[in-house]
Amino acid sequence: MSSISPAIAKKRVRKIGGSPLNQLGSFLFVLPYLIVFALFLAYPIIFGISVSLQHWNPMIGSGGFVGLGQYLGLFNMQSLTAQIFWTSFMNTAIFVVISVPFLVGVPLILAYLIYNAPVKGFFRAIFFFPSILSATSVMAVWAWLLQTQGGPINQIFGLHIPWLVRQPWAWVSIDLVTVWWSMGFNLIIIYAGITQISDTTISAAAIDGAGFLRTFRSIVVPQLRNVLSVVFIMSTIASFNLFAQPFLLTGGGPGQSTTSLSQEIYNQGFGLNHMGSASAMAFMMGLILAAVSFVQYFMVREGRS
Amino acid sequence: MVTHKWQRAIILVVLIIGSIVMLFPFAWLVSTSLKPLADAFDGNFIPQHLTFSNFTQILANGSAASVGQWLGNSIFSAISTSILVMLLDSLAAYGLARLHFLGKKVVFYVLVGSLMVPFIAILIPLYLEFANLNLLDTYGALILPYTSNAFGVFLLYQFFLSIPKELEEAAIIDGANKFQMWRKIFLPLSIPATATLGMMTFMGVYNDFFWPLVATSSNSMRTMTVGVALMTIGPYSTNYPLLMALTIFSMIPTLIAFIFAQRQLLQGVATTGINI
Repeated sequence: MSSISPAIAKKRVRKIGGSPLNQLGSFLFVLPYLIVFALFLAYPIIFGISVSLQHWNPMIGSGGFVGLGQYLGLFNMQSLTAQIFWTSFMNTAIFVVISVPFLVGVPLILAYLIYNAPVKGFFRAIFFFPSILSATSVMAVWAWLLQTQGGPINQIFGLHIPWLVRQPWAWVSIDLVTVWWSMGFNLIIIYAGITQISDTTISAAAIDGAGFLRTFRSIVVPQLRNVLSVVFIMSTIASFNLFAQPFLLTGGGPGQSTTSLSQEIYNQGFGLNHMGSASAMAFMMGLILAAVSFVQYFMVREGRS
Repeated sequence: MVTHKWQRAIILVVLIIGSIVMLFPFAWLVSTSLKPLADAFDGNFIPQHLTFSNFTQILANGSAASVGQWLGNSIFSAISTSILVMLLDSLAAYGLARLHFLGKKVVFYVLVGSLMVPFIAILIPLYLEFANLNLLDTYGALILPYTSNAFGVFLLYQFFLSIPKELEEAAIIDGANKFQMWRKIFLPLSIPATATLGMMTFMGVYNDFFWPLVATSSNSMRTMTVGVALMTIGPYSTNYPLLMALTIFSMIPTLIAFIFAQRQLLQGVATTGINI
């Protein structure tokens, strides 16, 4: 082995770039990942944009170039596609609006309670547990629990609520299941945030006479601002992508009232073989989602400064 | 900070009630799977006629569910994906965090931007691409699409940034090249973070439903999640004890992973919020 003096070694580490051959060597580390990135993410995006500009049937391929026609069609309220798109968009928006406050609020409160309780690890594990389950197992269990006739929940509480087949119960059920299923993920993130608030801050508040609730309101929530905004934006994105809960619990019903945007895109593409217009819908959804996250991000940043 | 005993008591009571609510569906799942069909709707938590016949019926030859095959497909594709992701992401993260080459910044921002793309946007083109490659309904379709996610690159990137420069300097003195540096220093030091990534990838692939639903079509290539879903809306739709037993089968791998790697998993989730 050649030996190099520490001073030269330090220089080599600090030196940016190096010879072209050296740089090529460095690039080789990133290359394998970039290949799969190009094949299975970048290419599909570009190909998808191209498909969305054509009539496309999976059996025959392109059925002619239509330009932005399918995007514009989504704004022509006379067309069936536009009606379907915006109805399912509204359904998804309703879900986002009712689910996100619970997906942030409930874990926030629970994380603070756990932080102040004994056996913290035990409670964290229990509340996180449903997050490890697949959509299908969660929906299989809840579809059974929420049966109107003879379902355990109605039996135990002596109710006769048509959980999955009548509104507004269908939304209540989907929301309940979603919070039960995925709240633990946010809880772990928020809990990690609470543990990062310095003990001095919290004990200083205690010395000043701040009680349990006062500390929560005046110290914990303001200090968690960053973490809560990340959780808020991530939950909005996740809720916007709603698919499995209505697909497997209510089948999108009653009527079309819980059919989500993702499910509608799936129906258009794989049910009706309209892959071109389904791609246009998907990209429109992507654009709307990007716009919403962008606005949220700046709202949150504005609030911070 | 909590000064009063009664406050501690209330917190504990609230959390215990919360825990019961969280575990209640799971308890009923187990209870129903141990009942004969005739007792499914009897409303008793404790099965009156305890039976394991639902489990044996699912595993029996000629059962509508091919549990062994589906479970095998899911586990094989989830483990293969995890290994690939850990390797590719570790190399790329090392290159981005510790090495220099022309265009590194561009690559970095392209990867950041890619995290914003919702899966639904690439669902259809990905499907068409795999159809063109004749890879639909193969293990390739169940593994390759998951390798492109940039999440793991950032997870390890953050970790590699935190490794002190002195270690690199010492290795250069010993005459190590870049690959040896990754192999002998960065990879071993990042085992906990890499294991966390592998764990999260395993869970993500094992639990995914949307993509395997469209990417597979023959019964022998179905994954556990899709298989269970097809039974839910198909042959088992009214036989809840059978369906619950099947659901328990589908949970076994993730339950085992959760029990043995809970700490890594929770750590991984916690860093998700701090990284972004």
